[in-house]
Amino acid sequence: MPERIELATVVLVLVGIIVSSGTMIYTANVLSNVSTVSSDVATLTDSVANLTSATRDLATIMEDFGASVADLKERLAEIEASLAVRETLIVGTTDSVELTLDPAQAYDYFGWCIIQQIGSTLVSVKPGSTTGADFVPELATSWTPSTDLKTWDFDLRQGVKFPDGTTFNATHVKYSFDRAIALIPKIPEGAPAGLGYDAIFNRTEVVSTYKVRFYLNFPFSPFLGILSARSSAIVDPKYAPLPWAQVNYTAGNARASTPLAFVGSYVLSRWERVAGRDVEIKLDANPNYWNLASGYPKLKHIIFKFYPSAAALRLAIEAGDVDMAFRHISPTDVLDLETNPNLRTWWGTGAFIQYFCFQEKRAPFNDTRVRVAVAAALNRTAVTETVFLGLAKPLYSIIPPGMLGHTEAFQELGDANYTYTRSLLTDAGYSPGNPLTFKLWYETSGHYPSSEDQALLYKEAIEAAWPGAIQITLEGRDWAAYKTARDQEIMDAYVYGWYPDYVDPDDYSFLYWAKWLHTNYDTVNPVPYQQQVDLYDEARATTVEATRISLYAQIDDIAVDQCSVVPLYVSSAWAVTKPSVYGIFLDITQDMRYWLISK
Amino acid sequence: MQNKVEVMGLRTYIITRILLTIPTLLLLLSMVFLLMRVLPGDPVALHFEKKAEPAQMDEMRRLLGLDKPLWMQYADYILGLVDINYFIAHGYPNLGKSMQTFEEVGGQIFSAFPATLELAIYSMLIASVIGILLGVASSKKYNSVQDHLLRGFGTVAYAVPVFFLGIVFQLIFGVFLHWLPIGLRISPLVNPPATITGLYTIDSLLEGNIFKFFESLKALILPSLTLGIILSGIFVRLTRTNMLETLRLDFVTAARARGLKESTVTYGYALRNAFLPILTMMGLQFAMLLGGAILTETTFSWPGLGRYIVQRINFRDYTAIQGAVVMFGLFVTVVSLVVDILYAYFDPRIRL
Repeated sequence: MPERIELATVVLVLVGIIVSSGTMIYTANVLSNVSTVSSDVATLTDSVANLTSATRDLATIMEDFGASVADLKERLAEIEASLAVRETLIVGTTDSVELTLDPAQAYDYFGWCIIQQIGSTLVSVKPGSTTGADFVPELATSWTPSTDLKTWDFDLRQGVKFPDGTTFNATHVKYSFDRAIALIPKIPEGAPAGLGYDAIFNRTEVVSTYKVRFYLNFPFSPFLGILSARSSAIVDPKYAPLPWAQVNYTAGNARASTPLAFVGSYVLSRWERVAGRDVEIKLDANPNYWNLASGYPKLKHIIFKFYPSAAALRLAIEAGDVDMAFRHISPTDVLDLETNPNLRTWWGTGAFIQYFCFQEKRAPFNDTRVRVAVAAALNRTAVTETVFLGLAKPLYSIIPPGMLGHTEAFQELGDANYTYTRSLLTDAGYSPGNPLTFKLWYETSGHYPSSEDQALLYKEAIEAAWPGAIQITLEGRDWAAYKTARDQEIMDAYVYGWYPDYVDPDDYSFLYWAKWLHTNYDTVNPVPYQQQVDLYDEARATTVEATRISLYAQIDDIAVDQCSVVPLYVSSAWAVTKPSVYGIFLDITQDMRYWLISK
Repeated sequence: MQNKVEVMGLRTYIITRILLTIPTLLLLLSMVFLLMRVLPGDPVALHFEKKAEPAQMDEMRRLLGLDKPLWMQYADYILGLVDINYFIAHGYPNLGKSMQTFEEVGGQIFSAFPATLELAIYSMLIASVIGILLGVASSKKYNSVQDHLLRGFGTVAYAVPVFFLGIVFQLIFGVFLHWLPIGLRISPLVNPPATITGLYTIDSLLEGNIFKFFESLKALILPSLTLGIILSGIFVRLTRTNMLETLRLDFVTAARARGLKESTVTYGYALRNAFLPILTMMGLQFAMLLGGAILTETTFSWPGLGRYIVQRINFRDYTAIQGAVVMFGLFVTVVSLVVDILYAYFDPRIRL
């Protein structure tokens, strides 16, 4: 038994030794591992510390990076802003769209100006033209009139797109002209009515997808002029749907405010009116413009800002608030600004005229002698030098200089020809004891330039012809009342003005007897009236320049004899810009082609 | 803290004043209607200067509803003004159609009104701050050089024509220094903020666009400074007069005797008591500004109500002029109501 206990003890001891050894080895391993772990932990701790430090560094770098990004953004914004400034032209004006941008209604200068930028016609006048007869293709690429000038075929430009992708074609041309003519009864004051579309056009025919034919009621040589007028701009049927109606301004929606197809150099992106007057118009470059390949438009954005007076506009251009001031800087201001080294003044040919009208249905101007007498007493030079400081020129024919058919016919009567005036008035029975008395009306709300000043000088000149024998009272009215008074035929003598609808003597010569002037020339003097109308129709029916010149000269001669409408002066055109602005053409069309302007 | 009785008193006062405003408004509207229909004659005839063809005048009368019997026109006029459905649909009351363009007169007026309101608010702020501070400063140094100078400033400020001061500011800050724009509500290069109130500064903040806010503010500086300086002339003198009276009162002496700081005595005690007449004048002037500061708006090309009214007068657009007069009367009535309520709040004696 004791051997077994000894054996068991030895075994136990051995086991114990083994276990202990194993434990010790294990413990040693563990300790070793712990040591390794500790070392690893230490390493890890170091790493974490490093990581933390690195993270902090990274945060600092990120911060700097963020600051750099912010700097970069700021710098980018500055660059963008300066690019935006260079790509944007801000135009200051005292003008305003009168009512709409609908070619079936708009008949005011500024409305037509905007229509020209955003719409397109089949043809237009070449920029810089001196005669207004240099027609260039626009939406039409070529044209062929018939020999009798009553049928005109136009080949249309292909590949022109509306903003929604619709391809322009002959149906759009027919739609536009049919609409313009159909709306004449509803919009009698609109341009198509004023230009006589219903009398001129017989019908429009789609010959093929890109060919359109116009049939006219009579031979009409100035037809291209009519087609270049803004009333002939193409409309988008989507925005001028049937049944046809005038498209009016819609607050907050520039696209809905005009029926025009945006095929011009710009699109109307913003139009803001407050209480019936424009506050801002913004045009953006049209990405679908058919002439993009030629590099037009030069500027991406045109912004029009509206000022209430010429004085405010002058201050705006001097302060640099606008890049360009156009219509109307007064003659005094523009001559002063010409000496400003920080500004640039642009001068151009004028085609705006003013003329004297007589009411012929009653005394005293139902007597031709009295009309001629007053016309001979006028002193045009006094007005052009005193009121317009030489920026207007005396006009002796209703057709302005530079245009086909211009003459100096009224030089026959002269200026301040007091001897002639007295002799005619004596024949008519007037004298200091029986003076000629009448009212001279003028417009007071700035529709025409310096109307009151002009009226004073006209009065002064006419009364000076025979002191005491001529007594003139001046009557001023704002534009709305002036037009109404004209229509009511209550004005004895009045001054009116005319901008060209299209640059052709056809658009001027008729002013001698224009019925909307309400002079009653046609009813009181039917014979000379008819003579002039016959000559006018003959001039329309031929393209031979020499013939037209002769015919218009004959019309002028009759006009001198009758003096129902007496031309007074033709104005120059001018604009003032910052020196960085280029590309302004002030030609005989009076158009401002903003797509040509660059900075 | 006001006790329950005082709060009920103020509430009753407010309700009473609002209810009294209704017959005041009705009287105002009726007077405007009568003036336009009865006293000067036929507005259509006046528009055409009594020289139009009868058919032309009859057509305009028909279009404007002026061919109806007078009582029917009055009914249409009042009912149009209180037509809630129209107001909800359009956002403005039915004020008839323009004789020139046949557009809604209410639409035209309310398109121009925000510009006028914004100019009025900032002008009044400037006028009040300058006027009250200078008035207090003047009263503190009674009969001193400072007093005389500030009184002189008050007189000159009110006497200077607004267009003259405006043009001088435009020349100095716009043309010579190029610091500020000479006109318009915001730079042409900046799109105006989306219309919520129509006030560019407020709408910019509502849009969260600080840049537009500062651009709008920049455009406001010159016109509101011009108008504010001119109006401050009234407040300088009024504040001075009222402060002189108040500073002599016993409670002010007592406040000083208690050792209160002079600024506390002046602004915390004296000015608070002298403020009520100034508040009335502020209300009146603000109401006048809401009718449109014509010369300021023209000088600074500000598209507000003043310019609109002048244009309508030029066109002899009588329905538009009538509408503008009605709205001006409403503005004055509302502002008077607010002033009265503020008066009652500041001076509990009023509610008794």
